[in-house]
Amino acid sequence: MVEPHSITNGGYTYIHDVDKGPIEAIDTHHVIARRNAAKSVIFNLSSFILIANPLFLFFVKDKLAMALLWSLILCAFFVKLFFQKPIEKESVIIMPAFGVQLETHYRSGRIIRRFIPIDKILKAVVNECVTPVTCYWTLSLIVRGEEELTLVFKEFRPPLKLLVPIWKALCAATDSADNPDAFTQEGSGS
Amino acid sequence: VVVMTHAYGNRSGVRYMTGGLKVYYVPWKPFLMQNTLPTFYGTLPIIRTILIREKISLVHGHQAFSTLCHEALMHARTMGYKVVFTDHSLYGFSDVGSIHMNKVLQFTLADVTQAICVSHTSKENTVLRSGLPPEKVYVIPNAVDTAMFKPALERLSTDEVVIVVISRLVYRKGADLLVEVIPEVCRLYPNVRFIVGGDGPKRVRLEEMREKHSLQDRVDMLGAVPHAKVQSVLISGHIFLNSSLTEAFCIALLEAASCGLLSVSTRVGGVPEAWLKICSFCLLILYFSVVLPDDMIVLAEPDPADMVRAIEKAIYRLPQVDPQAMHLRMKNLYSWHDVAKRTEIVYDRALRCSSQNLLERLSRYLSCGAWAGKIFFLVMIIDFLLWNLLRLWQPDVDIEVVPDFDPVHRERGNFSGDIGDKCSQ
Repeated sequence: MVEPHSITNGGYTYIHDVDKGPIEAIDTHHVIARRNAAKSVIFNLSSFILIANPLFLFFVKDKLAMALLWSLILCAFFVKLFFQKPIEKESVIIMPAFGVQLETHYRSGRIIRRFIPIDKILKAVVNECVTPVTCYWTLSLIVRGEEELTLVFKEFRPPLKLLVPIWKALCAATDSADNPDAFTQEGSGS
Repeated sequence: VVVMTHAYGNRSGVRYMTGGLKVYYVPWKPFLMQNTLPTFYGTLPIIRTILIREKISLVHGHQAFSTLCHEALMHARTMGYKVVFTDHSLYGFSDVGSIHMNKVLQFTLADVTQAICVSHTSKENTVLRSGLPPEKVYVIPNAVDTAMFKPALERLSTDEVVIVVISRLVYRKGADLLVEVIPEVCRLYPNVRFIVGGDGPKRVRLEEMREKHSLQDRVDMLGAVPHAKVQSVLISGHIFLNSSLTEAFCIALLEAASCGLLSVSTRVGGVPEAWLKICSFCLLILYFSVVLPDDMIVLAEPDPADMVRAIEKAIYRLPQVDPQAMHLRMKNLYSWHDVAKRTEIVYDRALRCSSQNLLERLSRYLSCGAWAGKIFFLVMIIDFLLWNLLRLWQPDVDIEVVPDFDPVHRERGNFSGDIGDKCSQ
């Protein structure tokens, strides 16, 4: 088995595994969310204070305004950090000439898998998505028969540096399905 | 060059135009006449993200009525970018709407690096409204796309004279004048027909006028004309009528002249100026070549009787008009390449201006007025604080810079190699 190749960028770690199976190499790309230690501490602290606040309110009635303000501020913190992604890892397993499997691993142990046959994938695209507050890159697949693009990473927003190798691998796999001779050239070139 | 605007319908996100121009359609909903609701600080995150990821050096805002423009310029100034503002319209000073607009404009222009106006009249108007020093304002007149606005290949017959009006049917564009002028001209000249393109609140009045004088067969109402169809509407006429009550620089007249139509317009704002340029060019040519028509435009005061007289003069002058000659003259005088070159000079000057620190900039806001000055000062301080808060939450280095690539030369192999190299840098 080839040595796993990893890059760390922007809160995510990317690991690339190539498993030389009996017929053809299976390409696996994992993106793992890095646990932010500071964030977990603040999360625990703020949830503790928030729980403690109503009790405080109950006992000290005259300092109502101050207490209310504190609770509101901490609520905001709490809400922001509460939406800690429950997803631990997202993977893309490329089986050339067969298909692509998208996996989502949750911290609770649940794994959701989705398989897309190779002939259904028209193209892998890297897109810029604009929201009212930000703009980020996504990797998606144009799938035959589906109106909307299929996102490869449902919740994660890995930076472009991590998306590009996966995109190149997906393009190589889909191109080789159309054109079987091209695969060996791409494999040795890129 | 990166363009940022709000989303139109379901057209939202990033689009690439001809030549690699990148456009961001930010999904803020427009609420009135293609304008988004003023959110003050709401657009700060997205503007900051775009300015950092595209490695922007200078921000150029257009049009005083655009709230997105004012907000973008405010945030760009807070973040230390150089800022240029272009004003495309003239406004009054007396009504409530104008007073508020002028105050907002004064706020934006208090700290702008350079400003561009489309005519000298517009420059006077802007300087008076905003109190900006005149040395900071440049005049670059608009151009017209002469490749698109070409005259008809065959000249129209002059048995029936067709007068074309294409404008927004609103008070500012003199729709009320049209209601008076059209029946009078139709009464005096039985061989004249009108084509009215455009839509707006005053359309109802024009429809009523049509019915009242039974002019259904002599006045065609086309409704809103998409920009791509304007040329085909123009070449179906002989004369172009513009009845605006106020106009900084009438590009519609240039488009009409480029299509070979004789123009009749109200003598307001920057209109005489645009034509002075063409007339002086004419005088030079007269010495050296065949006689050309002495004027491509007939001007009138914005009152119905004078406009009818002007239309009479235009109809009389019609046989002498040569559409192809007019088109060639326009081609030589007004070109977008020229405008682009001049705009680049303004950008160079703006980039060479020295950067100022926060205190110097804030003191300029205080001089805007007794109450207004203090409000503006407060607004900018809050903006500065919010910006720093945002930098703590999401530092500048966390925002990825978009790799530079040339979509014009995009081939599959080259592209993927290119982007891979740029990303690994």
